[in-house]
Formats: sequence, structure tokens, C-alpha cells
Amino acid sequence: MKKNTLSYKCQQYAMFAGVSTAAFVAVVILPFVYGLYLTFTSWDGVSKNKPFVGLSNYTATFSDTAFWQALGRTVIYSAISVILVNVVAFALAYLVTRGVKGQNFFRAGFFIPNLIGGIVLGYVWKFVFNRAFVALGTSFSIGALSTSWLATTGGAMLCLIIVSVWQYAGYMMLIYVAGFMSVPKDLIEAAQIDGCTPNQTMFHVTVPLMTSSFVQCLFLTITRCFMVYDVNLSLTKGEPFNTSVMAAMHVYNQAFTYKKYGVGQAEALILFIVCAVVGVTQVYIGKKAEVAA
Amino acid sequence: MTENQAAARSKRISHAIMLIILIVMFFAFIFPFLMVIINVFKTKADITSDPLSILGAHGFTLKNFPEAMKKMNFWRSFGNSAIITISSTILTIIFSAMTAFVIVRNKWKACTLLFSLMVASMVIPFQVLMIPLVSLYGGTLGILNHRATLIFMHTGFSLAMATFMFHGAIHTNVPVDLEEAADIDGCSRWQTYWLIVFPLLKPTIATVAIIDAMAFWNDYLLPSLVLGRKELYTIPIATQVFYGTYSTDIGLIMAALLLAILPILLLYVFLQRYIVEGVTAGAVKS
Amino acid sequence: MKKCSALILALLMALSLAACGGGGDGGAASDAAQDSGGGSVKITIFNSKSEIQSQFEEMAAEYSKATGVGVEVYFSSDTVAAHMATRYASNDPYTLAMVDAKDVYSLGAEHAIDMSGEDWVANTQYAVSVGDQVMGFPVCVEARGVMYNADAIEAITGTPFVPSDYATLDAFKGLLETLVAGGMEAPVGIMKEDWSLAGHFLAETYEEQPDVFAYVDGLYAGTSTVADNEKFNSLMDFFDVMKQYNYAAASPIAAEREVSEQKLAEGEIAFMFGGNWDWSMINAYDYSEHLGMMPVPQNLDDGDNQKLVGGGSKFFFIDSSEYTSDEQRQAAKDFLNWLVFNEDGNKFLTEDCALVPAFSNIAAENLDPLGASVKAYADAGNLIDNYNYLPDDHYSMMGAEMQKYLAGQEDRAALAAAIEQYWASTTPVAR
Repeated sequence: MKKNTLSYKCQQYAMFAGVSTAAFVAVVILPFVYGLYLTFTSWDGVSKNKPFVGLSNYTATFSDTAFWQALGRTVIYSAISVILVNVVAFALAYLVTRGVKGQNFFRAGFFIPNLIGGIVLGYVWKFVFNRAFVALGTSFSIGALSTSWLATTGGAMLCLIIVSVWQYAGYMMLIYVAGFMSVPKDLIEAAQIDGCTPNQTMFHVTVPLMTSSFVQCLFLTITRCFMVYDVNLSLTKGEPFNTSVMAAMHVYNQAFTYKKYGVGQAEALILFIVCAVVGVTQVYIGKKAEVAA
Repeated sequence: MTENQAAARSKRISHAIMLIILIVMFFAFIFPFLMVIINVFKTKADITSDPLSILGAHGFTLKNFPEAMKKMNFWRSFGNSAIITISSTILTIIFSAMTAFVIVRNKWKACTLLFSLMVASMVIPFQVLMIPLVSLYGGTLGILNHRATLIFMHTGFSLAMATFMFHGAIHTNVPVDLEEAADIDGCSRWQTYWLIVFPLLKPTIATVAIIDAMAFWNDYLLPSLVLGRKELYTIPIATQVFYGTYSTDIGLIMAALLLAILPILLLYVFLQRYIVEGVTAGAVKS
Repeated sequence: MKKCSALILALLMALSLAACGGGGDGGAASDAAQDSGGGSVKITIFNSKSEIQSQFEEMAAEYSKATGVGVEVYFSSDTVAAHMATRYASNDPYTLAMVDAKDVYSLGAEHAIDMSGEDWVANTQYAVSVGDQVMGFPVCVEARGVMYNADAIEAITGTPFVPSDYATLDAFKGLLETLVAGGMEAPVGIMKEDWSLAGHFLAETYEEQPDVFAYVDGLYAGTSTVADNEKFNSLMDFFDVMKQYNYAAASPIAAEREVSEQKLAEGEIAFMFGGNWDWSMINAYDYSEHLGMMPVPQNLDDGDNQKLVGGGSKFFFIDSSEYTSDEQRQAAKDFLNWLVFNEDGNKFLTEDCALVPAFSNIAAENLDPLGASVKAYADAGNLIDNYNYLPDDHYSMMGAEMQKYLAGQEDRAALAAAIEQYWASTTPVAR
């Protein structure tokens, strides 16, 4: 059979990607398109009527300052979390690929936070921040710990960031570990023979060869941070003073708690676009760097 | 010889420093779990009054466990979670690896389109999809409240991410010449894929398996929408009665957490060795 | 050779696929069998009071055994509105759903049946009507006020605690001074949760107006003012006193509800604003014997300081859609009648769940201390009605403002301005 005929292509595509395409379209694309349609209605989420209202949900979105504040907050939170998660993950990956005793044990240990679901995790951390840290602070009179961090605007943000780092660093570490191990040993040895210091080897040989790991980790952390919801809900619930409401939570509240389903859906779409632009730009730059290296 | 000794010594010192850093980090990572283990054996009153004490004023108690197990109907939920997690994970791996293969090896428009859509879909907040999803599958098709529906949806949602990961793995770890050799030997693409490509993907399979299994095992929002019948409840839906708008029963939450984490922890410990082996083997070959 | 192994591999794949598929389908098939099996009626109940979920499940099992009607009780940690939305979207509504009054108003016209003809209607003053149709069956009576721990107070004052002696804010403040002098450093707790601050406390500044409907309409229209409103200032004076004696005054937003309830239960603090539902938390601790509820002390001499605020709370409605059969609707009606007219049903409400009954024919002897207080005020006609038409985002938006006020980040004038501004920019809720 000729490899460039349409029927060959169709047959190959159907054989390898047919099921996936069908499932993906059925579960993601169709609901998304239907959701898009709902942004043009003033549906309240429970009624049988879905009156068509044109673009008014989008006008409402643009005048919803709370949404833009939440989005801005999400950008700040994501920026800090993404950097910290990746710095910590990279450092951990470095440490557990040096042949230190028990490194497999440490790899497993750092990954454990990933094994718990978001909502439960938030409650456990809330307990730690609100109760355990405060109890520690009072009994050892550590001023910084004696009142709950969750009670202040900056503190709540800090708590969210800490939990994100704790939650994702182990996972990203695994990807970096794989990256470290895929760097050929002979290349590093060659660099060392050429007189490179360990630092130079690191930044001029190893890191460039790990570009794809960086691209992958950054993409994953960026998208996860932008869409943070579970931990936001159970850890801070938006408190104090609604200053820790992230974009996804605002969207959820708008759609379900305040019953402005169309507005919520429209805002979710904007969140999606922002997220997609950031994610894709990052991958694009990363791919360019990969080709250059 | 002295040079070697000095090198060995500096290596030992640097290893000791790294070990110390690792131990400190490990403690920081494990701290919340220590809190869970300390408090899960206390009564609610003792947890509230003194979260740090090892033993509460009301003494050691195991009653959080049976109470949590009873309230969440543990074994039934456990069975449901297991069926759903295992099926969805296997299906995701099979179909996403195949999809990634056809995408990496062919620069067809359909492939590029599918891959772009998949990458884009990874940034769709799930809240955007939930009501349309429920309307379509519940309202129009009427097929909610079946485990099979949830398995299908889990698979559909996780395909994008898994395909993305296999895409990277095939791109970097599977040499094209190996495939060409197989082609020349008379293998069809299907055979080449299963005989040559798929086995080379072991490390990624292990990674995808653990990551998706965790995601499925812990997922709350999607199962809560699809499974509206008690006999179908998974562990995360069954635990929701422990928390709510007005109160949380932290003792029960902690007990449920420990009960739910065990199987996935075992899976991880098993696969973790495998991931390391696989990655190392791959590195040696290339 | 290669072809052979390829075949085996493919076969294995297919088998494992079939196995998983089979697992899923098997589950589905057995569910379907359960659905249609037996031929008896099966109803689903949505319970939105998490604290009575286990009692509810035990009752359902016994009720099924006794009557042959299958009853399944569900709970969701999502907000009621969000959870109901998903059930409606999937055409899978509950036969009987327990929701808040505002949800009956918003859902009733489309989703609930008229229960005007039911016998229990004559026995309650708390049912919710939409238009001229009775749609909400009141589950219980709940009221808000100041919870007190009499044992803790008496241990310091040495005299029996009579709440009515402290109806004015001045008297109340005097008592707090005495308590402080007697060694109780901070005799008060304040819940920082938005639903408590705005949904419960701030709401009283509307509910205690001479004409709440006119006042709220004025807020929407921008003609009612908050800053110089007598009632608002009177209640906020009380709030200021609470703030002053708050055990968590240093960091009021860090106060955990669990901790505050434990302190109140065990007498470390003496007062906290709340409602009789708080008993479900207090009873997890080593509570002292004499607790109760009293009206919010105020200097304003309009009689409101003799009354709690509350009424019917949580309402059952029966689904009207085509996805519920007439047999199911009848079974749901029977169940509601059982709650009101059957001894076991009464026992379930008042003893197992410790709810204050909303029906005049139900006696309740063994209520918890807070419930007993509420019943006493209710029986004496000393309840100020709930205002059930607050906008959906009120508790969250105004809760944030109240938190700022509580944390000292905003003064009363700024709070009042924020309240006025909120109402003026909000679409009025139909009623």
C-alpha cells in the first residue's frame, strides 16, 4: 500500500488514534462547545429556560472587578509558585541523582504529597497552619508562628504557595530526575576532561540538554497553578476578606453560588484564554531554546 | 593516590552535606503526615484542645477508623475506586501511547490539529465543562450512574496529558532507525508499534500509570457528577460527609486519608523502582 | 516468529480491554437490575444538614423495613444550589430535597409540587409558600442569638445566671467586666465565618427593622441608609462589645470555629453569637451542663432584646418533574406525614436529630439546651422572622466587609458605606 494515499492515512489514523479522538471529542470538545453556547444565555443553572442574551454576559464580565482582581491575584500566585516549585524540584532532583545513600527512599518520600487528593490535602494543611503551627509558636514562643498565617491577606497567599510547592515539587522532581538521567554520562565526562568546573558543566552541558524537562515542568505547573481550585476551597475558602479568591473559585461561585451561570461560564472562558496564551507561549519559547541547544 | 584520597574525601563530605539537606527537606515534606499520624489516634476534643500532644487527655483511641470506615462504607467504596482507577488507567495508557505514536511519526494535518487541541484542552478549567457534560450525558443521553461512563470520561479527560507525555518520550527515546529496520523486516506499522515502540516506553508508562492512577483515585468533582448512586460511590465521594460548609471532622478526615492513601502508596513503591530501572536502561541504550 | 508474538500481544491487549470493559459493564448491569428490581417504590432524599446524616441513614433503613418503601439518603459537601444544578442538568432529581427557604423560592415554581392539601399544613406556621401554593415542608425551627455557658458565669458571679437581667447592652457589659475581674480574661468568642458574620449577624440589622421589606427595598433603591440607622448602630454597638472581649482579639480572623465552640462548651469563654445548630459541634466536647441561648443585648428599647431571630429552617420539597413517578411522589408525601404524625417519626426528629419541631402537635421533651431555649422563645411567640430573600452573594460580599470590621481594618462608617453601596448595585431579588 502506498504511504501517501488518503486511504492509507485514514486507516493509520483510525487504527492508532481513532478511539482517542472519539473519546476526546465526546468528553472535552463537545461539552466545551456547548458551554460556549451557554455563555450567550442568561441561564441560572437550574431553570429549564435558557434565554438567549447575546453578549451581555461578556459585558458583565468586563465590569466584574472582583473577577479581574481574582485573575490578577492568580497571576501573582502562579508566578511565585511556578518559580518556587521548579527551583525546589530541580534542587531535589539534583540531590537525589548524586548517588547519596538512600536516594530512592528520598525520591519516594518527596513524591508522597502527590498521593493525596486536593480537598483533603487542603483540610490537613489548614489544620497544620491554624493549629499545629500556632501550638508550636505558643509553646516555644516563636512570634511569627503564634498567630495563624491564614488570618492575613499576605499570609493566606503565602500558605497557598507553600502548599503548592509541597504538593507539586515531588512530581516535578521526578520529571527532572528523568531529565538528569537522560543526559549521557560521556558528555559530562568529556566536559570535565575539557576542564569545566562542576558549575560550568551544570549550566552549559546538563541544563541545556534538559530543556524538554523544563518545558514540560513549566507547562504543568503553570496550568495547574492557574486553575487552582480544590486547595483554594478547602485551605482558605477565599478568606480573609475574600482576598484569597483565585480565578477558578470566583468562576465557580459566580456560576453556582450566585447563580449567574452564563457570566461564570464567560469568565471561565477568559481564564482559559489567559491560561492557554501563557502556556503556549512558554512551550513555544521552550521549543525554540531546545532547537537552539 | 593522595589525589584520589582527597577526591574521595571531598566527595564524602559533599555527600554528607547533601544527605543533611535531604533529611531536612524530607522532614518538611513529611510534617503534615506526622500531624495526621499523631492526631488520628485522638478524640475530637483532644485534637481541638492540643494538636501537638502525642496522647490526648481522653487517651489513645482507634475509634476514628471504624467510624470513618462505617460512614464511608469503606469496602464498597474501595472496590468501586479500584475498578474505576485500574480500568481508566489501562485504557488511558493504551490509547494515549498509540495516539502519540501516530502524531509523532506523521506530519498530517489531522494529527497536528488533534495534538494542538489536546494541548489546549489541558488548560480548560474543569468548572467550564461540568454542567455541559452533565447535560449532555445525563440530560440527553441518560447514561450517568454507570461506572463505565465514568471510566470513559476519565479516559477522555486524561488522554490529552498522557498523549503529551508519550509524545515527548517517543520523540526523544525511540530511535527512528529501529522502526525502519522493523519496517524492512516486513512488520506492519501496527506490529512495529507493539513490538518495538511500546516496550521502549516502559518508563513513561510507569510514570503515566502512577500519575493517572493517583488522579483517578483521588478525583472528587467528576465522580461526584457522574455517580449519583450510593452503591457506586468512590472513596473521595464517600468522605465528603466529613467536611462541609459549616464543620469539618478532622479526625475522620485524617483516618479516611490514611485508609485511602495505602493502596496508591503501595502502587507507587512498586512502580517507583520500575521507573528508575526503566529510565536508567533507556539512558544506557541511547 | 515476530508475527506470532505480535498476534499474542494484540490478543492480550484485546483481552485486557474486554476485561476492563466487562468490569464496568457488569457494574452498570447490576445497578440497572437493582433499579428495576422488587417492584416496590424507591425514593431518594437529599439531606443538607451534615450533622444528622448518620441518623438519617439509620432511620432510612428502619423506615424501609417497616413500610417497604426504599429510602436512600444523600448528602453533598457542595453548596446546595450547585449540587441541585447538577442533578437537574442530569435529569436525575431527588424525590425529596432538603434545601434552604431561599432555594424553595428560586426552585419551587419550576421544580416543586403543591402540598397545600396535606394534613400537616394546618399544624405549622413555618411552611414556605410560593404564590398561593405550599411547597416547603419545614424540617425544624432554628434561631439565632447569644449562646451562653451559665456554669462558667455562675462560677465567677456566685449567683444564678438569669439572662433577662442582661437584656440591655449596659448590663451585659457590666457582667463581662465582672467576669474579667473574676479571672475570665476574655469571656467572648466571635465566629469569623462569613455565613455567621453576614448571613446571621448582619442579617439581624435588616430583620429587626420595623418593616424589613420596606427597609430592604429602600436599600436597593438607595433611599434607606445604614450609617445612621438606629437598629444597625444598636447591633453594631453590641458587636463592638463582643470585639472588645473577644478571646482572639489579637487575631480575630484566625479564630477556628472548632476551638471557639470547645471553649464555650467547656466554659473557658461564656458567650458567643450563634444558633441552636451549634449544638452539633458543642456536643463533641466535654460540655458543662447549663448552656442556653438569649437575645442579643441592646440598649434600644423596642422589645427586640427580648426575642431571638429565627423560624422554620431547612425545607423539604417534592420534585414535580417527569423523572419522578406519581408513586414516588405519594411515597414522599407519606414520608413527610410519617415525620409529623407517627411516633417514630417524631422521635427521629426530636430525639435522634435533636431538632426543635416546627409542628404544634409534636412534643419535644428531650431537646438539647440550646434547642430548649429556642423552643421556649418560639412557644412564647418571641421569634423575629428570618428574612429569606437575601441576594445569593450577600453572605460572601458582606462577610468580607464584616471580617474587615472585625479585624479592625475598617471603621463603622466605611462598613455602612460598603453595605449601602452593595445593595444599591445589586439586582433586587424577586419575592
